[in-house]
Amino acid sequence: MSLPSNKKKLEFAHPSEEAFALILDYYGIEWQYEPRTFPLEWDENKQVLVAFAPDFYLPQQDLYIELTTLRPQLSSHKNRKIRRLKELYPEVNIKLFKRREMHTMMVKYGLDSEAERIRGSEAQEKNG
Amino acid sequence: MPTGSKISITLSRQLGSMGCEVAQAVKDRLGYRVVWRELINEAGKRSGTPELALDCIDDLGLLGITVPARYRAIYKQAMEEVMQELVEEGNVVIIGRAGQVILSGYPNVIHVQIIASHELRARRIAEERAIPLEGARAQVDASDRNRRLYLKRCYNARWDDPNLYDLIINTDRVTPQSAAAIIAKTVSMYTPTGTLSTF
Repeated sequence: MSLPSNKKKLEFAHPSEEAFALILDYYGIEWQYEPRTFPLEWDENKQVLVAFAPDFYLPQQDLYIELTTLRPQLSSHKNRKIRRLKELYPEVNIKLFKRREMHTMMVKYGLDSEAERIRGSEAQEKNG
Repeated sequence: MPTGSKISITLSRQLGSMGCEVAQAVKDRLGYRVVWRELINEAGKRSGTPELALDCIDDLGLLGITVPARYRAIYKQAMEEVMQELVEEGNVVIIGRAGQVILSGYPNVIHVQIIASHELRARRIAEERAIPLEGARAQVDASDRNRRLYLKRCYNARWDDPNLYDLIINTDRVTPQSAAAIIAKTVSMYTPTGTLSTF
């Protein structure tokens, strides 16, 4: 399980996003990382004040996905953005997924090398 | 096969049983269309619950998708509609998603189950996915559990109930090509009333 060569240069904002991408690849699900930014608020000069770029888009499911931590404050902030996005762009399907501990399950299912990679980058983030 | 008849096949399979290879061999032999992910994704789009399509694909539960029960009912309804439309078109192999239950009683549908022994399935998965055998065994167990639960929860049916199938093929010794030949022979014997003519 590895990222396709054209996606290897992608820099994910969080290790859990890379883990999510690896799982999608494992299942053969096509994905795009932050392919679109949705303006949510504008000033009187029509300049964008607030925008939102969901983490993933899955074209086969026509679904945007935003990953969030388990921290309630951040989660509710993202929920507000998603609600606004749905008001402005009702044709867009988007879901908020909570980031979860994937390492243990990946090891259980024999995906050890990827699991180690994720744990390594999580450790880097914590230390950095 | 009677002239003008449009036979369809539901193919229920276990992880590592080579069910998809059998479906491909049936396609090569009969020219049927094979539908799997498209079915899942179409039901997700129609029901407005695309995350449930993702949940269906997530056989190992790695993505941790949680969906309210009411959405599952809508998705199930959409799945049934899509499946019935496919059968009206005919000449299709429908993989998984409880087709053997949803389309039971349809005279022009043949229900096939593809199985193999647990250890052989795990060995196949280990080789195919280049993972340790222990991990492959865990994947087989998780997949079996999830597929069993789906049928039980949605249709109160047992996946291993032989009454749900016209054919059960064990690929421990039968190759996908041979399995496809058996299925093609069954298709050729089908009559419009849903019974089989003799060999």
